[in-house]
Amino acid sequence: MNIVTALVRLLLFPGILFAVPAAWFFLWVERKAVARMQGRIGPPFMQPFFDFIKLLGKHVPPRAGVGGLLMMTWPLVAVASAGVAVGLLPVLPASGGFEGDLILLLGLMEVPSMCLIAAGFSSRSIFGEIGSAREAVLSVSYNVVFLLAILSIAASQHTFRLEALAQLPVSPLQVVGVVALLVCLPAKLHLNPFSLPNAEQEIYAGPLTEYAGPELALWELSHGLEWVAATGLVATLIAPQATAWWLAALVFVALSFAIVLLLSAVSAATARLQIDTTVRFYWQCTLVFAVLAVASALFMRFRS
Amino acid sequence: MNLWKRLMCYSRRHSPWIFHMNAGSCNGCDIELIASLTPRYDAEQLGVLHEGSPRHADILCISGPVTHNAAAAIKTVYGQVYGPKAVVAIGSCPASTNVFIDSRTLEGPLDRHIPVDVYVPGCPPRPDSILQGIAKAAEILAERGNHPPASESASETKSGEARQ
Amino acid sequence: MLWKNLWGGSRTLLYPARPTVSDNYRGLVLFEPSRCTGCAMCKFRCTSRAIEFTPGKGEFTWSYDPGQCTFCGRCVEGCKTHALSQEAACPPIYLSAGELKKSYTLVRKPPAPRPAATAPALKPKAGGAQ
Repeated sequence: MNIVTALVRLLLFPGILFAVPAAWFFLWVERKAVARMQGRIGPPFMQPFFDFIKLLGKHVPPRAGVGGLLMMTWPLVAVASAGVAVGLLPVLPASGGFEGDLILLLGLMEVPSMCLIAAGFSSRSIFGEIGSAREAVLSVSYNVVFLLAILSIAASQHTFRLEALAQLPVSPLQVVGVVALLVCLPAKLHLNPFSLPNAEQEIYAGPLTEYAGPELALWELSHGLEWVAATGLVATLIAPQATAWWLAALVFVALSFAIVLLLSAVSAATARLQIDTTVRFYWQCTLVFAVLAVASALFMRFRS
Repeated sequence: MNLWKRLMCYSRRHSPWIFHMNAGSCNGCDIELIASLTPRYDAEQLGVLHEGSPRHADILCISGPVTHNAAAAIKTVYGQVYGPKAVVAIGSCPASTNVFIDSRTLEGPLDRHIPVDVYVPGCPPRPDSILQGIAKAAEILAERGNHPPASESASETKSGEARQ
Repeated sequence: MLWKNLWGGSRTLLYPARPTVSDNYRGLVLFEPSRCTGCAMCKFRCTSRAIEFTPGKGEFTWSYDPGQCTFCGRCVEGCKTHALSQEAACPPIYLSAGELKKSYTLVRKPPAPRPAATAPALKPKAGGAQ
């Protein structure tokens, strides 16, 4: 993959220029879908954009010391890693990739939640600490299933290139893996029923309690970019191959939109589960699923 | 930067995030405030989000006559809200302590402690009145953002640093 | 139920539409000066001292502060001449304290002439203390 392609993918499509409006769009879709399913109207179309602009304009006094500097870096790192993760998605056919970019993508998708955990601990507020501890427990639980599911799909094809994974024909293993991924997505994106770090009634705003103004705007943006990256990953895994680039882009956006609607339906239909129920769900129920997927992948590999 | 200022003013009016604090109220006004987030009255159509932290919010909604225990807390939370901000006094308790006048556990009406922008009378006010009050406070907030008074930014910086 | 909500439309009132209130909704207290006799029963019955009454010779001042009012309706029930009634609408929002306070200064009306004494002479004087 040469430098021009890399820059185009990073900055234009599906990079920053596409990802940031897509992040706002998906945030709006989720809020509107949840509102409609609850019988309300929901926010107008440009609402996440207006929230972002308003947050940029808050008069926040600068924080003193190293702690303040540290608190400022977490949202920047989160936005940067989520944006690059979106840029790595193999949406367009023959857009090039490199060996092992799946590993890079998974690592980059982990960074926003780790930044959230670090932000809660570095904000020296008790609500931040509790929220971060819960987010850490949640992360440990769903990540096992998430990574095992993706690795099982990758191992069955003997490749770690995203492009090759995007071109897979449909197989039962792939279906199992994608279903496992979809089950992990609500936890990754802090949706009901796994929205513990966002529990307002219990711990105020959780890890983000002490953030305000432009930093909070960056956190909201990183949340939106996480939406795009996560739904985009699932969308590229299930998308059928299309030759024309505009068709592939359209299919990608439409599939991501459908996944966002599905996740919103799940989030509107369920209530928040407690932390022990969540952990038990991921470690007992879905882990079996994921272990089965990995075992069958290894089995198929050794057979072939 | 006229376009940016107009965009900022428009965004502030259309995205008022509220934080609600109970200064010793009977919870009637609190229930009606939460009822304004329900499907029939739907505050989210105005972009209102009920936030979990005062640092995230623009509009502080206070209910209840201010009791001794709540007086210091109200001032702290007011300092934690970053500007531009607006305060809505919900119900007739924060406006004038209502039936609890002359009670020895109260510190008086709310405007003895923090500057109040909008009063929503009623005991309790209907959710649609509360929504009107929040919308009016969002307009006041947008205007205030355009012309920040000098005293507000100075007192905020002090209280903001003290919080850190 | 999600499906029903999604396709059934929302029940939200689009801002600024407001629901109608019932006829006996207890809103702002409306004062009819021509019917007031200055008995100050409303001030006595008021639970939150929203009504202030300053007596004087020949005239009196009556004031009402909706910011203090709890809209209970005791004043309306206590007024014998029905000078007070409650508006069947939500009280309006206001921007500065005490903005909606209203006060009236009224001239005390002379008492109505007593009906002619037609009672028989056997009735004691208590009958005249009407």
